Amino acid sequence: MSDHPAYFRVLLLFARNSLVRDMTFRANFIIDTISSLAWMGINLAFYVLIFQYTPMLGAGTGWGKYEFFLFLSTTLLINSLVQTLFMANADEFSELIRTGALDFALLKPIDTQFLVSLQRIDWSSLGNLGFGLVLIVYAYSQLGYAPSPVAISLYLGYVLCGVAILYSLMITLAASSVWLGRNQTLYDFWFYITNFSRYPREIYRGKYGDPLRWFFTFLVPVLVVVNVPARFLVRSLRPQTLEDWFLPAFTLFAAVASLAVSRWIFNRALASYRSASS
Amino acid sequence: MTVIEIDGLAKSYRVYQKKEGIWPSIKGLFHREYRTVEAVRGIDLRVDRGEFVAFLGPNGAGKTTTLKLLSGVITPTSGTARVLGHVPWQRENAYRRRFALVMGQKNQLWWDLPANESFRLHQQIYRIERRQFERTRDELTSMLGVRELLSQPVRELSLGERMKMELIAALLHSPEVLFLDEPTIGLDVVAQYNVQNFLRHYQQTRQITILLTSHYMKDVAALCRRVVVISLGRIIYDGSLSGIIDRFGGHKVISLQMSNGQPPDVMARYGQVLAAEPPRIKLRVERSMVPQVLSAILAHCAVEDVSVEDPPLEQVIAEMFTHPNGPGGHADEGERPA
Amino acid sequence: MSRASRKLSAEVADSPESGESSKSLWGGHLEGGWSWQAFRSRAAIWWTILRISIEERLVYRGDFALGTLMRFLPIVTQIFLWGAVFSAIEATAGSSQVAGYSYRDFIAYYLLTMLSRAFSSMPGLASGIARSIRDGTVKKYLIQPVDMLGFLLLYRVAHKLVYYLVAAGPFALVFYLCRGFFPGWPDPLTLAAFVASLGMAFLLGFFLEATLGMIGFWFLEVSSLLFVYMLFSYFFSGHMFPIDMLPGILGTIVHALPLQYLAYFPSAVFLGKVTGPALAWGLATQLGWVVFFIVASRRTFHLGVRRYSGFGG
Repeated sequence: MSDHPAYFRVLLLFARNSLVRDMTFRANFIIDTISSLAWMGINLAFYVLIFQYTPMLGAGTGWGKYEFFLFLSTTLLINSLVQTLFMANADEFSELIRTGALDFALLKPIDTQFLVSLQRIDWSSLGNLGFGLVLIVYAYSQLGYAPSPVAISLYLGYVLCGVAILYSLMITLAASSVWLGRNQTLYDFWFYITNFSRYPREIYRGKYGDPLRWFFTFLVPVLVVVNVPARFLVRSLRPQTLEDWFLPAFTLFAAVASLAVSRWIFNRALASYRSASS
Repeated sequence: MTVIEIDGLAKSYRVYQKKEGIWPSIKGLFHREYRTVEAVRGIDLRVDRGEFVAFLGPNGAGKTTTLKLLSGVITPTSGTARVLGHVPWQRENAYRRRFALVMGQKNQLWWDLPANESFRLHQQIYRIERRQFERTRDELTSMLGVRELLSQPVRELSLGERMKMELIAALLHSPEVLFLDEPTIGLDVVAQYNVQNFLRHYQQTRQITILLTSHYMKDVAALCRRVVVISLGRIIYDGSLSGIIDRFGGHKVISLQMSNGQPPDVMARYGQVLAAEPPRIKLRVERSMVPQVLSAILAHCAVEDVSVEDPPLEQVIAEMFTHPNGPGGHADEGERPA
Repeated sequence: MSRASRKLSAEVADSPESGESSKSLWGGHLEGGWSWQAFRSRAAIWWTILRISIEERLVYRGDFALGTLMRFLPIVTQIFLWGAVFSAIEATAGSSQVAGYSYRDFIAYYLLTMLSRAFSSMPGLASGIARSIRDGTVKKYLIQPVDMLGFLLLYRVAHKLVYYLVAAGPFALVFYLCRGFFPGWPDPLTLAAFVASLGMAFLLGFFLEATLGMIGFWFLEVSSLLFVYMLFSYFFSGHMFPIDMLPGILGTIVHALPLQYLAYFPSAVFLGKVTGPALAWGLATQLGWVVFFIVASRRTFHLGVRRYSGFGG
């Protein structure tokens, strides 16, 4: 018998149990899904309104209405994956720390970060994934072309990188509740930080914009999360500058590095918890 | 064979001291005062395979902390411990497969799902072979009489049924060492009795090693031959349950039934009057004085019936912890939030 | 609150104030009457409420410091988003106005709506009332000589005061850093109108949300309903964008709703978008809505209580 549990089968059970649970509260599940979709609808309405007044997001950036819709769908896909897989867990994590129920996770012969990060899967957040896919199809129909298979596979790969970066950020925030006490505002922090990821990098320009773009690209790499995959979808946005060529490579590095950093912080948090709790 | 070896194990915490009032709260933003709480102050203990040991002690004595140290959930400040040859706080998977911890105050089963779903998850996490898993599960559920509740959401179970399910979850992987932290807390008498019976039977047939903490002396009396008393983070007694009375119960209780209406105040000279409901009377008498007192009473009073008993165990233990000169010292330190 | 509404509330809500009213306060005890002694005991209670609010806020210093800081991050993205929009408009159309707003107006507008929402947002009010109805704590207001709405208003004022105390620093800093976006101080009359509209925004926000909370007397599960309201309010109060941007019939409808007085109206007043008779009319309408919701919250409370006691609680 191997020393490690069958991680994939455990994950499937997490998914299955969460679905069973969600289905016992069907009304809630439906309300959750509809609320998320309504919120997306309102956001879409806002952007439609903006494009009533402007042809493009930033002069010469190439982010016209439908190009931006592709960008927006990418935001939706990535956020919905992160929310489905990790958000309920990250939120629960601070609760586990507060109540001491983290003890049980520490007892199990399984990687604690894996257990804590994935045990509750929030299926209702998957609705936005559908919304995003529909929006992609609609945007392409308006643009009048389809992406190449190469673009699609690169896109999917970089969507996963984006998920990895956001996950790392989220678990880092959640782990910080060991030191900061309660972390009810996890969702708030989450929103405020990812807020920077939801627009094209090109809008951060000028005296303040350049350092900001630099900061959120290289130090807290939320700006590459959506930007890098989304550019693969837009045919008119071929790489031009050195930076355009360099960013995809950097994103791969950022995904790996942020996973490593978040794991380190997670373990530090566990160590703190283990020496502080009674 | 020695299963648990503990040497000089100690654990202290830093606790943030929150102050009342606005100004202290503001100051707390910049500077925090901490207080060091020594939960466990140097424990030495050997436990052999197949022993069923009870930890007794008042709230905050360090019982739960010791169990958590042995489970590897927390790391000690100093000292060493080995359970089944492993250092618990290294949290090796090999060790984590071989023991289990049950906490009566916390539950680990998925609240909204049938217990069986949580069990299946355990099966995967502990990599229990399917047939063996089903056999163990069915055996445990029928022993505890909760077989038909397997597919009912945990939140719909009674406290007792839930506790039984928690126990089953902990035993699915057939641990060799089991730590039980107040497993019967809050249960009614029947459920308590059932859990005790189960634990005794299970431990005897499997010959596993169990460490138990409990506030219910009945649990301890029913289950454990060996009792370890912890007070203020130290072991102050290690031996049999009856030995506690010999060692710490410094008096006996003499119950008398008088044939005439002897006024109780006369009896006060023989010992402390605990209860007086004429014609019955209870006296507390120093253990060494019992023969003398008894013969004096029988010589001077008309007694219909007499019995000499040890004081109730709870009382002895309570006195042990509260007696100012006794080893306990005090018991006013409340249970820290877990 | 359902999971989705919790998830999204961070985006829609606009205040780092904790949404949960403290249990100790819900369990609080208030004596009525207006004798001197009653007044003194009442003053003592106000003081206690204020003190507990402050302490509550200060216990969790880490969250608190980060929360106050993060609050201003979305404004940064707005500045760049609208910078990009205006750069494109100027490059193509040569005009530099969107719905009558210049780029600087837009940023000033967003900052001002943040200020307005600091007055009008009532985190946890409606859901708190609904919860107290559901778990029966509302009974206390029926037994004790306490006016629930009065008590909640008091509690809210205390909470807001503490919040202003805490947020004044960051607000002043951000407004100072962004002073270039503002057209300068308005004239005293406009300023007075702005202050009045902020005060009324607070009252309107309170009584509107209180009225919504009373729905809990009729429906057990109101969190989803409240969430829908939150979405609507976010979009139509002018929090997301100046509502003059809405075209045609949509714009007309939005101007007829009370929601605009929670965020859009005070900001527009400050920026001099509403002047003369329109200003007077706007203030009067806002007052009208305040009165309407004061009456509505009282009526729904009484009707609700009657229904509640009819069912035997």
